[in-house]
Amino acid sequence: MKKKLLSVLLCTALIGTLAAGCSSKKGAEASPKEDSKTEGKEITVMVPEWAVPSDDMLDAFTEDSGINVVMNVVSWDDIRDKVAIAASGGTAAADVIEVDWSWVGEMNSAGWLEEIEMTDEDKADMPTLETFSIDGKVLAVPYANDYRIAYYNKEHFKAAGIEKAPQTWDEVYDALKKIKDAGIVEYPYTMPMNADESATTSMMWMAFSRSGQVFNDDGTLNKDAVSDALEFEKKLVDEGFTDPASKTASGMDAYRKLTAGEASFMVGPTKFVGISNNEEECSVVGQIEAILLPGKDGTSPQTMPLPEAVGITKFSENKDAAKEFVKWYTSAETQKELYQANSSIPTRNAVLSDLINDGTIQNAGAMLEEAKLIKSPFPNGIPSYYSEMSNAIYNNVNKMVLGEISAQEAFDAMDKKVTELAGNEE
Amino acid sequence: MKRKTKGALGIALLLPIIIIMAVLVYYPIIKTFSYSMQKMKLTAPQDTGFVGWANYQAVLKSDSFWYSLQNTLFLLVVVVLITTVFGICVALMLNVDTKISGVLMAAAVLPWALPPVVNGIIWRFIFYPGYGFMNKLLIGIGVIDSPIEWMSRRFLLLFVVALVVAWRSIPFTAIVCLAGLRAIPHDLYEAARIDGAGRWSAFRHITGPLMVPFVGIGITSASITAINIFDEIVALAGYSDLGKNLLIESYLTTFSFLDFGKGSALTYIIMLISAVLGFFYLKNLTREVEY
Amino acid sequence: MKTKSGKVLYVIVVALFLVFTIGPFVWAFLISVTPEFEMFKNTMKMLPSKVNWENYITLFATSSRQSKILFQGMSNSLKAVGITLLIGLPVAMMSAYALARLEFRGKKLIKNAVLITMVIPVFATVIPLYRIFVSYHLLDKIFWLSLVYASSFLPMSVWLMLNYFSTIPVEIEEAARVDGCGRIRTFFEILLPVAYPVVISSALIMFLSAWNQFQIPLILASSFQTKPVSIVTSEFMVKDSIQYGITAAAGLLAIVPPAATALILRKYLVSGMTRGTGK
Repeated sequence: MKKKLLSVLLCTALIGTLAAGCSSKKGAEASPKEDSKTEGKEITVMVPEWAVPSDDMLDAFTEDSGINVVMNVVSWDDIRDKVAIAASGGTAAADVIEVDWSWVGEMNSAGWLEEIEMTDEDKADMPTLETFSIDGKVLAVPYANDYRIAYYNKEHFKAAGIEKAPQTWDEVYDALKKIKDAGIVEYPYTMPMNADESATTSMMWMAFSRSGQVFNDDGTLNKDAVSDALEFEKKLVDEGFTDPASKTASGMDAYRKLTAGEASFMVGPTKFVGISNNEEECSVVGQIEAILLPGKDGTSPQTMPLPEAVGITKFSENKDAAKEFVKWYTSAETQKELYQANSSIPTRNAVLSDLINDGTIQNAGAMLEEAKLIKSPFPNGIPSYYSEMSNAIYNNVNKMVLGEISAQEAFDAMDKKVTELAGNEE
Repeated sequence: MKRKTKGALGIALLLPIIIIMAVLVYYPIIKTFSYSMQKMKLTAPQDTGFVGWANYQAVLKSDSFWYSLQNTLFLLVVVVLITTVFGICVALMLNVDTKISGVLMAAAVLPWALPPVVNGIIWRFIFYPGYGFMNKLLIGIGVIDSPIEWMSRRFLLLFVVALVVAWRSIPFTAIVCLAGLRAIPHDLYEAARIDGAGRWSAFRHITGPLMVPFVGIGITSASITAINIFDEIVALAGYSDLGKNLLIESYLTTFSFLDFGKGSALTYIIMLISAVLGFFYLKNLTREVEY
Repeated sequence: MKTKSGKVLYVIVVALFLVFTIGPFVWAFLISVTPEFEMFKNTMKMLPSKVNWENYITLFATSSRQSKILFQGMSNSLKAVGITLLIGLPVAMMSAYALARLEFRGKKLIKNAVLITMVIPVFATVIPLYRIFVSYHLLDKIFWLSLVYASSFLPMSVWLMLNYFSTIPVEIEEAARVDGCGRIRTFFEILLPVAYPVVISSALIMFLSAWNQFQIPLILASSFQTKPVSIVTSEFMVKDSIQYGITAAAGLLAIVPPAATALILRKYLVSGMTRGTGK
């Protein structure tokens, strides 16, 4: 009996010491940058994995400014939850936080963001800054650019007898039909349609590129533009141009159809310029070209930005140091280095054009040209009810592509919700 | 021993758990209750204050609540059924002492040890609506011709979710039941054998009844798991209307729409539903066992 | 399993069990070695066209960021599990013993008040908890995180132990006490040796539940030094997609410690030893 008891205790102790042993060792090894409290200020920065600068860059910043930076790497959706919970109690989750374009409206209404001063030159060089400005106040500074750009597979188009890149949505439609009929690929078009955020933005850029607007001035949906976009999406789905799997697979997975060589045309994130040239992520390297977004009678005169920014929380106790960090982090030199470190696409057009001209970004296609066409589709800035609106839009887009409701019914349902939300705001 | 000292000892032994529970569980839920009685939409920081039951009324009036409730109840029934049946089977299998039972034990806990996000990803690949594993398998053996879109119909989607959740909750039930099996004194079986009882009758009259409290723990845990399903739905279907349960509804309200008041009210309603179940289980499944 | 049909049944059950339990892990392994572009390809082939070990190489290269985060996450998780067990097991044993063996006023109330907390969803406590942690500067401290873990697993463990203790006849202990053993000695020398399967079950349950906690550490521990592996695996993403391959690879590595522990404990949990007073 004693033996049994002993073995039990031993086992429990074993787990304990195992854990404790590991911990003390690893604890001591912890990175000095995040641990040591040097004299001078310290700020915390909460950003997702892909926004983390290299250690060398941070060290250089600390050396120059005397500000110690603690990086809090948190996955993208969770940042928002943490900031909300902290702010509801009047505290700061971090001094500097990630601000996605879609969060800026609510964060502004909730009063979580500190205004940031920007020079006019900066404003001119950073078209996406407009997205983060409300009532003339800059609330966050974009560090990673993303705007919708079109991609097509030259080989697929050639095989169907089309030599020229499509310029209008009608040309796209004809090309897709030819490619499908010729049996080159089964599903030549790909687009996020699952009930998630990417279906909302897809509907928006579709309306924006085809009709030049998405919303009316009072923030309600523009009936003609949105109905037209929905009808067109539905047509592409009904004619079998899209993989049925995309209706219910995660929106982001839809983009991979292009790099897997299974789709011939898509409108997608800017990052796919890089991905489509990477042997490890793309099976059709060299076949994909980035082109200007198609429009109604020629290429679309505008494209929708989806950038990410860093902002300073109102509850921060180190606002000056935080401002200095933001200034450094979004400076031209840092943007260049950030591209090297984690391929963040610069938000400064001057930097972007440098990177393309000196060959750092290869096969850029229409990347720079499109960047100059960035325009926000929101007439009054991102509304504070964006996430609730987006929820209504993507669920109805999804119901439509699943065949549960018609394009008209989808429009009516989302219009009802958006009108209600916009009305409450007045 | 005198009753008084016994009482003092009892309270002394329970003191740590009372303190832990009071500070880390009871205080927070009282606080959350007070949020649920307030108007607390974070995007309207000026417009706050006590509103009584208004948040609860708003929740109970919305269609979306009742729809989510149906989904939650469906998931509850399916998850509890699958988990309990297979949990007991696995426990009985692990209770057989063979050379490989140790390895089987380690294998049995694997699904539980998997981080939730990875679990979600694996199953997303298995039930991918295009050529995922399940579709390849079913096409391969000739059951279907073209891929099934698992996530496009409500109850098919919920069934898949229930399956995935059951897969990870079976190990707990199995381990609890195994502990229960180990608690049965061997002499009882010997006695039964002497009385001429067969194996089945021994199972029915000894194993079954004595296992009730342990199976009860398993069922309770499976029910709580089922009501709190979150990551699997997000991984398989996102935050879509189709598959959302009460917890997703509460998450969306609280963290997406930043309405802490209404979100807290929803959480409280979820808690009440669980509590009703919990009381039912505690009443029926904790009866003292006599040997 | 003495009969032949019994053996056949056993083999069938074991085979089915292994297919359903291990199958998804095999699939996860395949995902982890599939090149990204092939992940959702419309093909009937089960195996990737080329095996890509890149993800494992990255995770084991000591210089890579991913490797550092993963292994720090594992050690954070182990630490949290260790502290949870050190707090949780003794407290659970004490509480279960008091509830099972002692009679006093308010016992039923305390028991129900503890057990009913099992039904509380995480969202109901997380916001106030965060505020407590902020006001007392407890964020990003593994000890306090573990205490929260313990608070959420205690009810289940107490219940489990309580049920087990009440299956053990009181007479043995009483006999021992007549012989002059104190309550504490009786507990350790008489009750515990009989009740060890439930203690190990509870330990295993606490270990595993603490290992894959997600919502609580998400809010209470976000620094590199405290973030558990369950959170780390969720952060292998680039902006527009999850990096499935490396996430699957990291997830498979993350289950090694609990699986190894289960292997070590198997002897005590699954064994031919008969529980009983005589043997």
